[in-house]
Amino acid sequence: MQNHGILVYMECADGQPVKAGLEALNAAQRLAAQQGGKPVAAVLLDSADAAAEVGAYGAAEILSAQVGGYQAECYAAALTELCQRYEADCLLMGSTRDGKELAARVAARLGAGCVTDANGLSEQGWVRSVYGGSLLETVAVEGTAVVTVRSGSFGKPEREEGRTASVQEETVAIPEVRAVIRDTVKELAEMVNLEDAEVIVAGGRGMGSAENFAMVKELADLLGGVVGASRPAIEEGWVPRNHQVGQSGKIVAPKLYIACGISGAMQHVSGMSGSGYIVAINKDEDAPIFDVADVGIVGNVNEILPLMIEEVKARKS
Amino acid sequence: MELLVCIKQVPDDSVTVTLDPATGGPQLKDITPVVNAFDTYALEMATRFKEANGGSVTVVTIGDEAALTPSLRSCLSVGAEHAYVVTEPAAVSALGKSYLLGKAAGKLAEGPFDVIFCGCESTDTADGQAGVQLAEQLGLPVITNVLELEPKDGGISAKQETEEGYRVVEAPCPCVVTVTKPAYEPRYPSIKSKMAARKMPIGTLSAADAGAEEARVAAAPAKRVVLAAPPQRQSGVKIQEKEAAESVRRAMEMLAGQKLI
Repeated sequence: MQNHGILVYMECADGQPVKAGLEALNAAQRLAAQQGGKPVAAVLLDSADAAAEVGAYGAAEILSAQVGGYQAECYAAALTELCQRYEADCLLMGSTRDGKELAARVAARLGAGCVTDANGLSEQGWVRSVYGGSLLETVAVEGTAVVTVRSGSFGKPEREEGRTASVQEETVAIPEVRAVIRDTVKELAEMVNLEDAEVIVAGGRGMGSAENFAMVKELADLLGGVVGASRPAIEEGWVPRNHQVGQSGKIVAPKLYIACGISGAMQHVSGMSGSGYIVAINKDEDAPIFDVADVGIVGNVNEILPLMIEEVKARKS
Repeated sequence: MELLVCIKQVPDDSVTVTLDPATGGPQLKDITPVVNAFDTYALEMATRFKEANGGSVTVVTIGDEAALTPSLRSCLSVGAEHAYVVTEPAAVSALGKSYLLGKAAGKLAEGPFDVIFCGCESTDTADGQAGVQLAEQLGLPVITNVLELEPKDGGISAKQETEEGYRVVEAPCPCVVTVTKPAYEPRYPSIKSKMAARKMPIGTLSAADAGAEEARVAAAPAKRVVLAAPPQRQSGVKIQEKEAAESVRRAMEMLAGQKLI
């Protein structure tokens, strides 16, 4: 049996690879280059339709299996079996909620080392944030590694129209499912693409109310940007949780990040400090957000934002 | 139902952790240890489940008894009835810790447990592996990222948080759940419950008492080799004019100068 070296579980939605899966493919290609050009095979489960797209993104080979729809126990069993069949040194996947669960399951079954939320790769190992982003640790794995890749860290690989990969049909044993998914409900209809945004206007607790938070959206719309938020604004219910930036949300790096009424807890700052230019508005002149801001405006955000909106409108016309 | 909650003590996550240049490790000496936030949600969910459906709540943790006693007392003051420490310094990885917790769970007088609760991740290392790997090593079903939980047909039915909404997942007992932030906050202790918790016993057991194999407890196939401070950003200009309009005008000029608007 051929050793495939590196496997990437390509999570798909509606027959297309999700961004987190493509980023994992990019991380796999970086690892492959570091280890002298090992082949990278992408694993598709119940997503044979996505093969052409995954080929265009540069997987050397595709292993495709039908598992009968998403049940974590079946997907974990399939990934474990494929890792064993091809003696994989490393299995990568995107750090989605499902990805993290599958990685921990497969690692336990293989007795493998598991790295969650890798955001970089060095000569010594996988790099990841700890203590809410206060510090970075490098983790070395002995033997087989199962790694989930933090969204927004590695970027998507180059897509080449017409590039294809050979597809190998795989048969895997499907276990009897105990924890059964009975129903799936989509509450958040709107797609939020914070990772690719050039401008993000984000609001925090200092916005004070859902009505005031609407100004964040107005400014974002005027600048052609996307609305972000810190955890308190999510918990207040002012904006859905797929807008969250930071440790428990998205890692972002827009050209311009405007932080409105965000104090700058480490958990938030570590998710946006890679931004090109940071503007912060906060009434507390000692707020830690000012430590990372290129321009800090000390003042009441509910007084500053309307003026800013007017100014942008005036410059546009 | 008999409920077990696994907890981890972590440094207060509202404090920025710095690097200790002497050891190359994290500087934690002046940071208050607290119960991991997600574990407090797990304890609250278990306590509400017990209040609605009967049974008892036991908490278990791994480490040094003296260092962990305040955290366990705080759990005993907000819903837990029994508390144990597995005194084992060798368990460092999620794989080793979850193996040890699974072994210990099988020895506790309050068991066998119908539902084992864990936080979905810890705020310090944020691996999010222990709960899932506990289930895998015990051969139990697991439901991750649980927002709500109720009994159903002798098992449980849970609302599981997903990227786009939620799923309804059902599992037979015994099983493991990992808990994310539910719609409610954990309760505060009362003076009375705090006083009562002070008098409650805390049980201890060693890895040997739990019947765990040393090599599996100490297994750590993934190890930290370097800890470093992330690159620091330089702060720029702070504007604080008497008139807000003047502050905004200055800021906008800087943005225009950078061709950002």
